[in-house]
Amino acid sequence: MQSNRLGWILLAPSLLILFLFGVVPFLYVAWLSFHQWNPFAANPDIIYNGAENFRRLVFDAAFLASLGVTIAFVFFAVVSELILGYVLAQAFMKDFPGKAIFRTIHTLPLIMAPIIVGSIWKLMTTPSIGIIPNLLDTWFGLDLNIGQSAAAAFAVTVIMDVWHWTPLVTLTLIAALVSLPPDPFEQAQIDGANKRQIFWHITLPMIAPAVVATVFIRLMDALRTVDEVLMLTGGGPGSATRYLGVHIFKEVFPRTNYGYGSAISVIVLYLTIVACWLLYVSMLAPRNQK
Amino acid sequence: MKTAFRAGASALAIALAAGAAFAQELQIENESWWQEAGARFDGVTLRGVTESTPPSNFISDVLAPKFEELTGIRVDVETTSWDQMYDKAIKDMEAGTGIYDMIYIEQDIVYAYLARDFLVNISQALEENPDLKAAGYAEENFTTFADNFRGEDGDLYGIPMEAFIKIYLYRTDLFGDEEIRAAFQEQTGRELEPAKTHEEYAEIAQFFTSWFQDKGEDVWGSTAQAHTGHPASWYEFFESVAPTFGVYNWGIDPDNNYAASVENGGTMNSDEAKEAMTWWLSMRDIAPPESVQSTWTEVATTFAAGRAAQGLVYGENAAWIATDDTKSRVVGNVGVALPPLAEGVMEAAESGEGYIGYYDGGAFGLPVTSKNQDASLLFLQFMALPEVQEEWAIAAPRITLDSTYDSPKVAELNEELGGYYDMLRDQGYLFKGAPAYPFHAQLREATAPIFYQILTGDLGVDEGLDQMAATAEQELSDLGYRQ
Repeated sequence: MQSNRLGWILLAPSLLILFLFGVVPFLYVAWLSFHQWNPFAANPDIIYNGAENFRRLVFDAAFLASLGVTIAFVFFAVVSELILGYVLAQAFMKDFPGKAIFRTIHTLPLIMAPIIVGSIWKLMTTPSIGIIPNLLDTWFGLDLNIGQSAAAAFAVTVIMDVWHWTPLVTLTLIAALVSLPPDPFEQAQIDGANKRQIFWHITLPMIAPAVVATVFIRLMDALRTVDEVLMLTGGGPGSATRYLGVHIFKEVFPRTNYGYGSAISVIVLYLTIVACWLLYVSMLAPRNQK
Repeated sequence: MKTAFRAGASALAIALAAGAAFAQELQIENESWWQEAGARFDGVTLRGVTESTPPSNFISDVLAPKFEELTGIRVDVETTSWDQMYDKAIKDMEAGTGIYDMIYIEQDIVYAYLARDFLVNISQALEENPDLKAAGYAEENFTTFADNFRGEDGDLYGIPMEAFIKIYLYRTDLFGDEEIRAAFQEQTGRELEPAKTHEEYAEIAQFFTSWFQDKGEDVWGSTAQAHTGHPASWYEFFESVAPTFGVYNWGIDPDNNYAASVENGGTMNSDEAKEAMTWWLSMRDIAPPESVQSTWTEVATTFAAGRAAQGLVYGENAAWIATDDTKSRVVGNVGVALPPLAEGVMEAAESGEGYIGYYDGGAFGLPVTSKNQDASLLFLQFMALPEVQEEWAIAAPRITLDSTYDSPKVAELNEELGGYYDMLRDQGYLFKGAPAYPFHAQLREATAPIFYQILTGDLGVDEGLDQMAATAEQELSDLGYRQ
């Protein structure tokens, strides 16, 4: 009983911080989402408007367009990071000359702040001045202009995200691969299984929890990407890279549309939870039932 | 590591030394009054937030240390990005936390702040506290730009600290090159001079783009602040280009129920606005390729890199472009002129019915939420003393007091800038700041996505401007300004 009380006392500071900086702001945003509030409107008061913000969302073409490009961005970025991260993790499981240096360099993007990543990629991709458009033009005669081409801007934001976050996936998967017991693999080889069969029937099922956890983290991060993209393209050209995070930022900060912006935030949180739940159910639940 | 540390420490030392050198040059009159006035605020630290620009950096690096040396009042000025500055200032004033004692107010946001009663009436505060009134400070010393920061009562709600016009900058070396002049005359039948009309400007731009393309050199005929995802492009069109075609106040008529569409009495989608947009896009198409990613900063660097023969550039960048050879390749080769205009626009500007371009700038305001209002009043007056203005104008091309124009160093810099300060003083009245709307950012952000689609070509000029006008009216209705 006494140790239980001591446990709660020791936990109390953390719980208090979590409540103040996690729960309270969330409750405030949820409360605001049922109100109309723009401090620069003719009437700057906070006015209760029921579910009007959510009703408006359903018919808001800008929001729906933003949702569409965000889903595409998340899909391409997370899938690419997962595949590339796995390939790199497998590579790092083997010894090769310069492995330590390569692994260090490969991990460097992880420690950079997103705003710096966006700045670097902006410098590298500025039309006609950046090194990437220059090299593409010199080597292949390609004109990369992320200020004009929606497809190019979209692709560059995905590549930038992959460059930034693949190391996280690699590190997580290395940890998972290192912890696998050797016996099932030796047994499979004795039974004559080929590499593909070993991957699908042994490696993947055994590292599935780590993969799902990694995908959860990346999915949540990618859904709320703001800094990098805002710095690189500003959401443009047009609305080509106006992902949900950027859309919310522009609604809430410059436009000071606090009520409506809060409603979008709540919906995005809901969508994130649903996406994670679907992922969990599809990948881990059948395995757990067995 | 040690080398990097030494390099960093050296850079810091040089920066501090430069600030200290400026501070030493400042001779403040009535030093004893400042010492006495500051004595009652012992231990007070003032906090300010501003955009990181040359004029603001002078405040944090030079004026703040000098003020502290005189009064003992510490001043911490946070210089940050434009977006962050607004984010921090508005949140502080909205929540009433009182973190900041001084905030930067750009000319275009002051009306929104006044509408929300965010700012202290500085004129009134000084009148009510004569013991805080510095002898060297006088409201009547300000240029007419200060009028932008007056409320309906005529009182001052911000101390102007920067002011500049968006000017037509051109390369004097290219415009004066005999071979180029001869080729231009042969091609067009007229002398190569800075353009006075849009047709002339386009002709010059096309000529230079072709001329250097034929030579395989990276120089284009015009700049364009045409970012396809940043509000800088929106501003360039509505505040610098559209007025030269006779479309004022963003195409909105504040006296007619804030109408934006032609149908309701506005001009946002008028024939003049469509002509302006078509012309601007045609200039964008022959500007350096980076223009579609350029904000005001990149336009200045493009010009300074020698990649454009002419263009519209914010005056705050004119000094370093024309004089700083560590950053600019066109030092000594910069001329200034008034922007090209459509017929009748100059007459409208001279009569006060219109304007020919953007007069921008900013002030330092005192939030009503500040916990150190009296001490802040002292610093705000310190910023407006005539004796600190000359060095400030040299460090950054800004003038807010009439007397600064006559100082020797400013006259010298004026020569190097091709007469920029003369233009600011004598023709500044032809330019105008943003319209007095309390819904500045809200309207911009509501219409910007459509604007960007016009820039990318996803929407035609006619269709796009029609949609923008309709969206503007809808937003103004939603905000409660349009009935």
